[in-house]
Amino acid sequence: MLNNLRVTGALVRDTFREAFARKIFWGFAGCSTALILFFLFIMKIDVVEGAVATVSLFGKTSDTQDVARLVRQVHGGLAAFLFTAGMFLAVFASAGLIPTVFEPGRIELLLSKPVARHHILLGRYLGNLLVVAANVFYLVIAVWLIFGLKTGVWTFGFLWSSVLTVFVFAILLTVVLLIGVLWESAVVATMVTFGILILSPILAQKYTIERLLTSEWSRNVVRGLYYVLPKVFDLGNMARQIVLGDPITSWMPVWSSLLFGVVVLSGGLFAFSRRNY
Amino acid sequence: MMPAEFAIATEGLTKVFRNRWTGKEIRAVEGISLRVTRGATFGLLGPNGAGKTTFVKMLLSSAHPTAGRATVFGRDSREPEARRCIGYLPENHRFPTYMTGAGMLDFYGALSGMDAATRRKRIPGLLVTVGLETWGGVRLGKYSKGMLQRIGLAQALIHEPTLLILDEPSDGVDPIGRRQIRDILHTLEQKGVTIFLNSHLLAEVELFCRDVAIIHKGKVALEGTVKDLTAGSGYRVEAEKVPDQLQSQLRAQAKAVASRNGSVEFLFANREEANRAVDLLRAEQCEIETVGRTNSTLEDVFVRTVNAQ
Repeated sequence: MLNNLRVTGALVRDTFREAFARKIFWGFAGCSTALILFFLFIMKIDVVEGAVATVSLFGKTSDTQDVARLVRQVHGGLAAFLFTAGMFLAVFASAGLIPTVFEPGRIELLLSKPVARHHILLGRYLGNLLVVAANVFYLVIAVWLIFGLKTGVWTFGFLWSSVLTVFVFAILLTVVLLIGVLWESAVVATMVTFGILILSPILAQKYTIERLLTSEWSRNVVRGLYYVLPKVFDLGNMARQIVLGDPITSWMPVWSSLLFGVVVLSGGLFAFSRRNY
Repeated sequence: MMPAEFAIATEGLTKVFRNRWTGKEIRAVEGISLRVTRGATFGLLGPNGAGKTTFVKMLLSSAHPTAGRATVFGRDSREPEARRCIGYLPENHRFPTYMTGAGMLDFYGALSGMDAATRRKRIPGLLVTVGLETWGGVRLGKYSKGMLQRIGLAQALIHEPTLLILDEPSDGVDPIGRRQIRDILHTLEQKGVTIFLNSHLLAEVELFCRDVAIIHKGKVALEGTVKDLTAGSGYRVEAEKVPDQLQSQLRAQAKAVASRNGSVEFLFANREEANRAVDLLRAEQCEIETVGRTNSTLEDVFVRTVNAQ
């Protein structure tokens, strides 16, 4: 047990070291810090009698609005940003961290150690996930603190939305892992994951698409793809609902995406256990 | 269960690679049964593409055998625990360049199951052993090829393995570094560490290894001790000032004759003929330079074996 933890720790540390060296971590941290500084110094919020506020940006002042609503809107906007641009950025920047392990001359050495193959892969996966999670939590917690301190509004939904963001990245990372094992290519892994990200909002409109399609076969394909692939768009909507304090009507996007992640991760581990290096 | 007195034991180890699309088969290793005793210094030789690296990869479980099995100290090589006692330096290794020398040793030490305190204690000494004591804090990207080989060797030794598998350890190392590596290996040999060397440098294997196996086209072509394999059955007599008449007489008895710079070298099939020749040469007041057994070099044995297949 202790040895397993030691090995996992070493693999995670190694992933962080590589992320530091390839400036991935610092790139993320730089973007997050820029956003944090923007909210801290450039966006000025004046709260009047604890209920209404005006927002000043580069000297321009907006109309007076409900402060709690304003905070939720900013949080919702940031959550949406993390689900779209943030997710693309995270996949693009960190997709190489897993396939690099399979480079000839490096993988043989790793496999020669008394560590099970699935442990090596899961350790790397965890390390990659933590690199992104650390930055997401850094940004979200800092923005949450800034708005909380400036307005006195503390909405925990925003914090929960960051968990959902990391969850979605964890699912997408299983795709990177599987493609990485099969093709050992960061480019292919990125392209396939981007494909899923782009398809997601399209498939989310499945009812509209189904009405436009003439054959039952093609409708089944769309339906099948929607249910099989991770529902990034739906999960993004769910995050927005959490931020705005709206009730969640269906947890299906969570468990079906989780199921996808588990199946793809298992596939990746199985393929890795069978490969010759 | 194979007996644990062997550091490595394989039985009918076979690896067939199949092309995914054409279905074409390549039999990289075919039914290799090999025994390496504990504490031995063993050299695995073979021409390019003979299957040496695939064989080693199967021992380390980075390639799965199609048939047969391998054990390391009696343990199935597929079990991760079997690799705990192995130190490995691969050929064409690619150490992460973002790591420092000490950081790399720490990482692989942790993967080998060493705790942090033991690693901290062992790393400085190991850097001294491989002559990189001032380079521990420098990134591997700045290391020369020879230095990478040496830090690679340190990596293989970090957890004090009882079996060391080295794939072309002297590759890219200058003669002084090569000598240094050989000295380290000699020290380990004296400590009872089994050393399995996979090398193209036949002279190096001949100098260092006690046992060798030559594999060719995926099969063991020859196996034995270096001493036995290189021992010749003939005798060599070299003399100066040999009169023409005696030269003609001895030429008729010898297997081969070579003349150079006034001296003549005769090769005889056995000791009796060599003794008779010495008597005749002494009787004619010839100066005898050398008398001794003929030896083949490992290279001769290698070339003969590979060409005979």
